[in-house]
Amino acid sequence: MTNTKTRTLLRSDELSCPSCVPKIEGALKALPGVQKAEVKFASGRIEVEHDPALADVDTLVKTIAKTGYTAKPSAF
Amino acid sequence: MLSELMTIYRNPAARRKWLTIASGVFITFALVAWYGFGLAAPWAPFMTIAAVLAGYDIALRAWGALRLRQLSIELLVIVAAVGALFIDNHWESAAVTFLFMLGAWLETRTMSRTRGALKALIDAAPVTATVLRNGETVEVAAHEVGVGETVLVRAGERLPVDGEVTDGTAAVNEASITGEPIPAEKAPGSKVFAGTLAENGLLHLRATGVGADTTLARIISRVEEAQEAKAPAQRMIESFGRWYTPAVFVMAVLSYLVTRNVELALTLLVVSCPGALVISTPVSVVAGIGRAARAGILIKGGEHLENAGRINTLALDKTGTLTEGEPRLAEVVALAGQSEADVLLWAGIAETGSSHPLGRPIIEAARKQGHLPTAEELEEIAGMGLIARHDGHEIAVGSHRLFDHLEIGFDAETKAGIARLHDLGHTVVIVARNGKVAGLLGLADMPRASARPMIDRLHALGVNRVVMLTGDQRPAAEAIAKAVGVDEVHAAMMPDDKLERIRNMRAEGLRVAMVGDGINDAPALAAADISIAMGASGSDIAIETADIALMTDDLGKIAEAMEISRATLTNMRQNLVIAVLTVIGLLFGVYTGSIHMAGGMLVHQLSVLIVILNGMRLLRVPKASRARAGSVKAKATRVAA
Repeated sequence: MTNTKTRTLLRSDELSCPSCVPKIEGALKALPGVQKAEVKFASGRIEVEHDPALADVDTLVKTIAKTGYTAKPSAF
Repeated sequence: MLSELMTIYRNPAARRKWLTIASGVFITFALVAWYGFGLAAPWAPFMTIAAVLAGYDIALRAWGALRLRQLSIELLVIVAAVGALFIDNHWESAAVTFLFMLGAWLETRTMSRTRGALKALIDAAPVTATVLRNGETVEVAAHEVGVGETVLVRAGERLPVDGEVTDGTAAVNEASITGEPIPAEKAPGSKVFAGTLAENGLLHLRATGVGADTTLARIISRVEEAQEAKAPAQRMIESFGRWYTPAVFVMAVLSYLVTRNVELALTLLVVSCPGALVISTPVSVVAGIGRAARAGILIKGGEHLENAGRINTLALDKTGTLTEGEPRLAEVVALAGQSEADVLLWAGIAETGSSHPLGRPIIEAARKQGHLPTAEELEEIAGMGLIARHDGHEIAVGSHRLFDHLEIGFDAETKAGIARLHDLGHTVVIVARNGKVAGLLGLADMPRASARPMIDRLHALGVNRVVMLTGDQRPAAEAIAKAVGVDEVHAAMMPDDKLERIRNMRAEGLRVAMVGDGINDAPALAAADISIAMGASGSDIAIETADIALMTDDLGKIAEAMEISRATLTNMRQNLVIAVLTVIGLLFGVYTGSIHMAGGMLVHQLSVLIVILNGMRLLRVPKASRARAGSVKAKATRVAA
């Protein structure tokens, strides 16, 4: 099986307490096709390594929204 | 109407805002009814509705975390709020949930303002670019521009890519990269950066860097990495935060079992989030580093911020750092009855045909005094000088080696003049006409205008040893040192000597910052407590390796970097004190019975807000530091007067 991997960078400026970090990371990692998810509280960056065929960027944004936070994809 | 409501509902931020407002409205109704009209009936139902409205979103988040087997703050708040409803304490339940939501909303807004310093940088890069393809202009996404393509930038537009100007001129404001507010003139051949602003003109650029491969993107990702790098104090607090919440949970259960006091147990749950504590240091670091980035100062992490704030010794190179790095004509000495103007004119005539770096300042000075003809014949002797023929005269310009070669002797007056210029640290150029020495030119690398105020400012900051380490000879080094106010001079140093000097100073217990260009001084930079690279916008190596990278050559930024570091360090300490006092005060208040649920939530949320607002003060440093720079300058002029 070929495993296509993409790195997507999202930004959220709604992170006001580091307690949200494990919540968002956990929700993203629970998605099929997501290999790595890292939330950086200080800068509000969310780095995701994922297979776009199984989980596209839109799914990532929706999953984060379900945990209660708005995030947007960013070029850098 | 319904679809509008659904849109709001699907957007977490909007949903929270409206739920909070609705909850607040019901609380207000209940309060007015009770205290204004003495109506008891609406109290319990209205407060319950308020609690449910505000609690709904908290419950959603709590459930989301619970499904991932995480014990969240939201869960504790919900347990406390539901518990309060069961013991018929409707007001406490409504107040706790409402204050939690209101606090979170305010915290989010202020926190994003704190991150805002960087947001301005991110937003500086335009989303689209105008590209010239097959002779037509097309609008494409900025990151889809191909390297080598021609990009058009009109007046008032921000540049979408890094590139080189191929056509047109413009004044470009590079404040987003360098922090320098005065626009730079760009003409064909100039390097330009994405995110900078063309204030006039029309530029054609050849794209050299696009999207994530632009200087702006690199700066942003460096700054963010720096903000994310956890300082030791922060790691400690975070591990504390991890056991604090469960510990308070256990305490609440134990307290209930021992005292059978439901309210005490629930209040403990409410105050169980160490919110102010866990964000106390990151808030200061994010604000401090962001604020520095906006001024063109890249501080590569909280750790460096801490180190830079404690510096008391600054070591720097002379050439290119304290001086302009380019020779200027400092003195013209006329000999053998010639006039200074003639000496300069003859030297200028010979130099016009040459491209030697020492020639440029001579030509410039000669042009200033009038018409400068070109020599009819010119012979360049590498490493020695020039022999030119003009108007039937032979002009020789160069070092003493040229004159040894031509076998032209020096008389006593010439020898004395050469010796005097040498002692001043000048490079001596000898000018002769028709086999006779006519005069001398003294060239020197002049100190930068900003060097003296920068060193005064550093002294005022408590950096009391400013040390010059230079490969130059002592006379030249001392002349500059005296002019700019350096405390200590070490001349004729090899790179290894510089390294040794830095090590010795650190062994003496000094905290040393080293300023260098990042390449020649690499060993010495690595040995210092903090390494600072200057003029880094053009060099990736400097951005990568230095602890602090200054995007411009402006020396004032060194002092500014120190000021920001100190301010951030102080801010961090204040935040820690506020946070620790809050935690102690809350626990004490809960056990002595002076704080109940609503009060506990209020104090907790207020402490978080205070910590964030305190961090935000760092973003305002520019004015303060400008004022300080002004006062130092004023002091300097007073001393001069």
